[in-house]
Amino acid sequence: MADEQTIAREFKVLNKYGIHARPAALLVKAAGKFACEIYIGRKGSEVSAKSIMGLLTIEGHQGSKLQVRTIGEDAVEAMLEIAELFEKKFFEE
Amino acid sequence: MAITLQKLLEAGEERLALELILGGEHLGRHIGEKALNRPGLALTGFFQYFAQRRLQVFGLSEFTYLKSLSPAEREKRLRAVFEKDVPAMIIARNRNPLPELRALAEEYGVPLFRTAMITSRFINECTLLIEELTAPRDRIQGTMLEIMGIGVLLQGKAGIGKSETALSLIERGYSLVADDITEVIRKSAGRVVAYANELTRYHMEIRGVGIVHVPSLFGVASIRRETTLDLVINLHTYENDAEEDRTGILPSDIDVLGVKFPYYALPVSPGRDMANIVEVTALNHKLKLLGHDAAKELDEKVMETFLRKAKK
Repeated sequence: MADEQTIAREFKVLNKYGIHARPAALLVKAAGKFACEIYIGRKGSEVSAKSIMGLLTIEGHQGSKLQVRTIGEDAVEAMLEIAELFEKKFFEE
Repeated sequence: MAITLQKLLEAGEERLALELILGGEHLGRHIGEKALNRPGLALTGFFQYFAQRRLQVFGLSEFTYLKSLSPAEREKRLRAVFEKDVPAMIIARNRNPLPELRALAEEYGVPLFRTAMITSRFINECTLLIEELTAPRDRIQGTMLEIMGIGVLLQGKAGIGKSETALSLIERGYSLVADDITEVIRKSAGRVVAYANELTRYHMEIRGVGIVHVPSLFGVASIRRETTLDLVINLHTYENDAEEDRTGILPSDIDVLGVKFPYYALPVSPGRDMANIVEVTALNHKLKLLGHDAAKELDEKVMETFLRKAKK
């Protein structure tokens, strides 16, 4: 499709406890607002950002680097929102 | 909330073996305080503290004391009590009222009751009854079910499928308490008890079918007269899922009669078996009560693991 676009960025997990249940829920909630597909993970193993259980399995502890890919019409907006969560340490500290 | 003597008499006629001797025209009087008083001390003339807004109960000791006095003295002492405008007098052990008591009750327009019970038991039972009669109560929208001993109030907009969900749960062996309209009353110690309206009790309305009588269809095990309220579940459509908690570690609560209850907002969508989900919610709540909070435990495990890995 013409307006399909893929954006990829890497984020470092900054908050102390990493992506545990609460940050995972925030990610899922943010991702749920967009129509595009959103994946988070490391090379070779990524999960949908719309799955809580999936997000817990990527083991996003403090200091780990995670790739985020957004694919679809609203990929830019979605990436901005996800970026904010990472940058603001999921509002934990 | 004050109650009238009329209400007390109606409710207590059987339970308290309560009987009106005289003063029927004054039954509109209110009981000012939710406790009872034995006027023994007041009869001796001590009025520095006298619980005059309470029902006054005459037991064996009051009677024996009054009998020890001369008729004139007796009249004087009793008059002093009546002067305080007490709501009513109750004689325990079915004793006959002394003539002075009768005359003064007549004169002051204070109803005189009698009970067959002994004084201490009467005071216990009557306190409980007044407590019940004055307990905060409300009528709320929602279907009340009992799932494995957990009282679940199912709420949601009309047509979202409360009754249908309830029906599935009844088929699974759980019990209906009230359909669509639930009466709640707050008992002591913050317990809220839910029950159905007397008239429509055990009936349900299923869209397209009409009104059905649940025990006739599913047997007596499918109904319960009342249950304590343990949690509130709100069925809603996905459009308004802003408040939704996806992990179960951020519990919300809701106020019913001034008591807080766990509140779960469950989104309804095609293909989601709501009965199943309500059942899981209730059972998971029961598990939490037993001290096993799965969401929290997993989260703790996850955080601990991440912390260890971050340090490496």
